[in-house]
Amino acid sequence: MSEKVTLSVNGHEVRVAAGANLIDALEAVGIDIPHFCYHPALGADGNCRMCLVEIEDGRPPIVPACKTPAAEGMKVVLESEKIKKIQRDILEMELINHPVDCPVCDQAGECTLQDYYMKFDLGDSRMDVAQVKKDKRLDFGGGVVHDQERCVLCGRCVRFTRQITKTGELGIVNRADQARVAIFPGKPLNNRYALNVVELCPVGAMTSRDFRFKQRVWFLKKTPGVCHGCATGCSITIDHHREKYKDARIYRYRARHNPLINGYFICDDGRLSYHLENENRLETPLVKGVPVTPTEALDAVRTHLGQAKYPLVVVSPDCSLEQLYAAQMFCLEHGAKVSGYSAAAIVAGDGDDYLIKDDKAANRPSLNLLGIDTSREYLREALGHADLVITLNNDPFTDGADADLSEMMKGITTIACATHHCEFFDNADIVLPIASYSEYAGSVINSDGVLQRFGRAVVKNRPVPELLELLHALGGPVADMGAAWAGMRTAVAPLGAVDPDKIGEHGMRLEGL
Amino acid sequence: MSDRSQLLDAGRPFAFDETREAEFTRLEPRYPERDSLIMPALWLVQEQQGWISREAMEYVAERTGAYHAQVFELATFYTMYHLRPPGKHHICICRTLSCYLREKQLLVDWLAANLDLVPGAVTEDGRFSLEEVECLGHCGSAPVVQVDGVFYEDMDEEKLGALIEDLRSEAI
Amino acid sequence: MTISPVSILSARFDVEDAHLLAVAREQGAYATLDTLFDMTPDDVTEEVKNSGLRGRGGAGFPAGIKWSFLPKDTGKPVYLTVNADESEPATFKDRYIIVRDPHLLIEGIIICCYAIGCHDAYIYIRGEYTSQYEILRSAVEEAYAAGYLGESVAGHDFSLQLTIHRGAGAYICGEETALLESIEGKKGQPRSKPPFPAVVGLYGCPTIINNVQTIASLPYILANGAAAYRAYGTEKSPGTHLFGISGHVERPGMYELPLGLPLLGVIDEVAGGVWRGRGLKAVIPGGSSTPVLTAEEAATVTLDYESMAAHKTMFGSGGIVVLDETVDMVRVVENLIQFYHHESCGQCTPCREGLGWMEKLVRKLLAGEGSHADIDLLLELCDNIEMKTVCVLSAACTMPVRSYLVKFRHEFEACVTEHSAAAQPAQNLEAAP
Repeated sequence: MSEKVTLSVNGHEVRVAAGANLIDALEAVGIDIPHFCYHPALGADGNCRMCLVEIEDGRPPIVPACKTPAAEGMKVVLESEKIKKIQRDILEMELINHPVDCPVCDQAGECTLQDYYMKFDLGDSRMDVAQVKKDKRLDFGGGVVHDQERCVLCGRCVRFTRQITKTGELGIVNRADQARVAIFPGKPLNNRYALNVVELCPVGAMTSRDFRFKQRVWFLKKTPGVCHGCATGCSITIDHHREKYKDARIYRYRARHNPLINGYFICDDGRLSYHLENENRLETPLVKGVPVTPTEALDAVRTHLGQAKYPLVVVSPDCSLEQLYAAQMFCLEHGAKVSGYSAAAIVAGDGDDYLIKDDKAANRPSLNLLGIDTSREYLREALGHADLVITLNNDPFTDGADADLSEMMKGITTIACATHHCEFFDNADIVLPIASYSEYAGSVINSDGVLQRFGRAVVKNRPVPELLELLHALGGPVADMGAAWAGMRTAVAPLGAVDPDKIGEHGMRLEGL
Repeated sequence: MSDRSQLLDAGRPFAFDETREAEFTRLEPRYPERDSLIMPALWLVQEQQGWISREAMEYVAERTGAYHAQVFELATFYTMYHLRPPGKHHICICRTLSCYLREKQLLVDWLAANLDLVPGAVTEDGRFSLEEVECLGHCGSAPVVQVDGVFYEDMDEEKLGALIEDLRSEAI
Repeated sequence: MTISPVSILSARFDVEDAHLLAVAREQGAYATLDTLFDMTPDDVTEEVKNSGLRGRGGAGFPAGIKWSFLPKDTGKPVYLTVNADESEPATFKDRYIIVRDPHLLIEGIIICCYAIGCHDAYIYIRGEYTSQYEILRSAVEEAYAAGYLGESVAGHDFSLQLTIHRGAGAYICGEETALLESIEGKKGQPRSKPPFPAVVGLYGCPTIINNVQTIASLPYILANGAAAYRAYGTEKSPGTHLFGISGHVERPGMYELPLGLPLLGVIDEVAGGVWRGRGLKAVIPGGSSTPVLTAEEAATVTLDYESMAAHKTMFGSGGIVVLDETVDMVRVVENLIQFYHHESCGQCTPCREGLGWMEKLVRKLLAGEGSHADIDLLLELCDNIEMKTVCVLSAACTMPVRSYLVKFRHEFEACVTEHSAAAQPAQNLEAAP
């Protein structure tokens, strides 16, 4: 625990972390100081002047909170007429050359400028001379579209490309009220984290080509989730909505702050991976390619299960911890072998030293934790005498290097419990659509051993079963999440002390993996 | 200031000539960080080419190891860097207070009347360009005119006329 | 009382070719170096403190005290950067030193560097000073060749490298932290303070930034002692200053004078009085950033820091601008706001957005489209912008602008009244009989 100091805010004493700047220090005790340019991941710049606060007996008496460390005995005044006037005045300056085009701006509803105007100002414009004109709809590359007129020149985006990605594509050119964010001609944003600038932008100056004009943000439901794009398992917020007469769908992922994993940012691949949740989804059970009812499909599976002597279950390293445990128990019940081999999920050389990993599976450490064999040899041997293969969303045989495995599959009855269409799943003897990760609750363990829980975000008009339910319906012993955890806490040592309801929004680092 | 962010292509790549290369090499060890070389390098470009093209900015970024965007920032922030080719003779008339009080406007008007040259423009024959600039630090000898870096103090219309005549005959 | 210029800083100004080392040396340049290296650095600092020399860049902070803010033994190099970015309108004193006696400046740099333990100094010279840069550069090269700079300064066990860095057109680089940013290869955007440059300055190292004239004052102090320097000027404003007098006087120019002289006396006796036989309207006492004095106020002010403060203005850079009775103060304000607007670095919201707005409001008044409310709005904007920013550029604009609006409000009102006909609402045809 860091050292604490006592200071007064508007006459009330608060205990805050010593040395933290006033914005962070007071935010921790629920007091907001308005600001545009400060961002905890990018440090204090001090250019917006929105966070000016009064320090009683201070020299100087008015300071930017972002640049002022909390100190013992400090008397901070946020509510004085002087400070309120400064906040109004700064907002007025931000707005005089701003187009105020909120009705057509994607940021409306989550715009700091708009929020502060409602909170601090609400005044009429006094600007009756010509506004400064700048450029709009600039293609900055990386799926980022820039509007120089909406920009408040806070410089967060510029600092992001210099401090975080160290690619430096953005700059603020010119000076005075001609200052504007720009790319060098022919040198667009060219890094795998570029879309974070859209999220960092406190106003509507940086928009995502992917999200622009797709949905008003106030319609979006925001559910905490975990990105399943790679083994980092970044914390995300899933923004989803069911439009009238349409099915629920996801509109975007945003980074969710997690000091244990991804800080404030996520990669672009992960951010855009929501498309996979919306598209190419399996919806109808098939038996030999013919659409059937879910009941008919389940009956068909039961028949095969009853007849099989050597069933083999192949699980995906993207399945949740609970699903994997349920699958393991299902296999015990049915005398099936279980393999977690999935070379296809590893893209060698794709990772970097920041957030992106070679391993594109979200939950591989859980396979090891549960003792599910992930070796190719085991799978190959099991395939050698299997008479029924049930794949739980694992498509291990698409990679050319595993052509021998595909060859061995021919002639074995195959049941695919799967989320998406693909050649392998579509050609299985029985196809059972299952829910994807945005449609169920569960847990995953990332490559650093951090266990995260996530809730169900999306409820489709015609929901397909979650894997846990499906396995239970097929005779698996694990009835639900509670049962899964009760079993795992007994059987899996590192989970023994874990209370699944107390994992928290940032997850927890598992000891003894 | 006006917008300076619309860069112009020279249509050919840039590289320092021998003289500028020698000066750049002389400067390199004078700074502990290479970013410090951006401004001197931009000056060298301007000295050599008369103005700073997009290609030259790319060259400066490569030579200094700086981000292109940072070179872009500096070239547009510092207003003495020409981002367009100026005339053969670039005329700066100080517009700030002391020169204003000592009637610099007469000089601006004279150029408009006699050369059809207004601030920000280049004469049709490309011989002269005019810029009204902020205080040139010659207030005690105002109004002051700077042509191709050379200061002409205590100017009036007559002296300006004579100067332009000189430059014109030299140009031929 | 007869007022006549003195020659402390300007002793070699009128010597032909004094910018050449041989000539300067003949006239006593670098003569202080032998005494310098016999002293300890602390002794030098002490002598400068005792002289009461105040920073000549405009703020007037005592130079010796500034040096003593350097932290000791940080393990990092100490830098000196000499501020030759002289860009404050009406200020041209440093140019005289650079052009007429560059070796005085280099000698001062050696003294300062020895005192503060600096072995790597930079001169930041504004880009507009083109021929001046050439003169300074050859002086520095000559000083290197003669061994006054380099591995062993004047044969002593003290090394000093001196590099000239050229600006490229940005008034703000005269602000000391903007200057550091500019040397570091960034836009000249001032840094928030603290930390102050003495602690975290150039390349993150302890740094002293002094104005050209401040540094050029050192050789005299070292050669003649603090007391001799204090013999000039007043108790709190000791020494001499290079006063640049411009605007509506008969003999504008550069004059070295002791501090403390009456302003009007200087205008009349030194600069030949108001030109063209006209009456005096107002005086800008120390560069365009200082609040204007009416003719009446000017009559009682003396050229020193205390008297200027008592008259609610500032000594500033010593750049005196005389405005005769014909001057349109609205035009003056337009001219000044345009300057500061053009030079705003664009970093802080109020200055970046606000100065342009103010410029447009003044233009609106001049176009006869303004109202009394616009004058009040201008005054309010001065308050809303001033001291809300990282640096004082915005205040350098709003303080003088406010002074014109308050002291010469009638001229702004006249813009509204003169054009009141145009400002009449259109005739209401409905109401016509």
